[in-house]
Amino acid sequence: MAAAVSGEDFTNLQLLLKAPSKDAVRDVCVQSHRAPSRRLAETTASAFSIPAAQAAQLVQSLHVLSHHVLFYNLSSPEQILALFPESFHSSLKNLITKILLENSPTWRTEAVSDQISLPQLKELDWRVDMVTGSDSVSRMSVPTCLVQLKMEDPCPSAGGESVSTVTVELSRESLDTILDGLGRIRDQLSVVAGK
Amino acid sequence: MQLHFTKDVLPDSVSTDFQNLNKFNEQQFHRLIEILCQFLLEPKETERFMQHLTEFAGEHGMSAGPLRNLMKSVLLVPQGLNEEKAAHFAQQWGEHYAALSRLAVGQTLMVNQLVDMEWKFGVTVGTSEIQKVGNVFLQLKLVVRKGNSTENVYMELTLPQFYNFLHEMERAKASMECFS
Repeated sequence: MAAAVSGEDFTNLQLLLKAPSKDAVRDVCVQSHRAPSRRLAETTASAFSIPAAQAAQLVQSLHVLSHHVLFYNLSSPEQILALFPESFHSSLKNLITKILLENSPTWRTEAVSDQISLPQLKELDWRVDMVTGSDSVSRMSVPTCLVQLKMEDPCPSAGGESVSTVTVELSRESLDTILDGLGRIRDQLSVVAGK
Repeated sequence: MQLHFTKDVLPDSVSTDFQNLNKFNEQQFHRLIEILCQFLLEPKETERFMQHLTEFAGEHGMSAGPLRNLMKSVLLVPQGLNEEKAAHFAQQWGEHYAALSRLAVGQTLMVNQLVDMEWKFGVTVGTSEIQKVGNVFLQLKLVVRKGNSTENVYMELTLPQFYNFLHEMERAKASMECFS
């Protein structure tokens, strides 16, 4: 969730000045975006030689900043630089801005694919069989189609399965009806796209 | 089961015999009808009828006895039936058989039969992570028959996935058409 970035957050960010290298700054920025975990705080504390409590606050503030940038889609340097207070360390401000701009496209793509949704279709397989006999008719030749749909739920409920499979049998008429429906969807989509 | 033209009631054995008739393929069945019609048109030619039946049985690798019994069940017509009625009977039976076959095929077991499909599509405007988005999504609901009840399957597709789905279903249809 995108909370507002506070003055306290910027104070915490200045702890980045204690980083051993620019790469270390980059690492902690990227990792804090995903989740400001305790393990990350501990790693950062030892790498930066700062107390664990301060490292935890730093990681949290980085998380708030990167999500704020993502939410409002701040995509130019000016927009991000404008967030920082006047007194903020100039070089650090530029470095953080550069890191945020570099990673924004990836973060945005991830956010879109992680968003809540119905189970997403992952795979589709089909086969056509020829039914040659049954308990009511010993000799026949009727084609039938089996379709297997594999779906993945991006946010499964607790204890629920993430991947589910459904196999559906279609008669010729059903398949024709489906294609009719899908054709209508395609037509509607092209009307919308044309606008 | 009552016969249309005599209003007699069929004995049970006949019902089984009719089911056995279903086991003949179209070609065999037509040949049998032909033999039968010939006999009905000239009911005195019983010897010729028996001979035809025996030949038929031999050609198709079945024993003549059961076939003769089968034909006896069919011939629930009083002797001396005139030509017109005989032809009518044969025609009725032929039509009745076609309908029975269709019914039987229609009752053939289908596993997880698709009963209905509903859809909606729209645009995601924003999320808790990104204020302004703009992705098109398509949501499908498939209603599947499982035994006596139905189950709803919901899923979401992106646009490329939808076009792929459409493409695959067209391929499946083309494949089915090859076989009919």
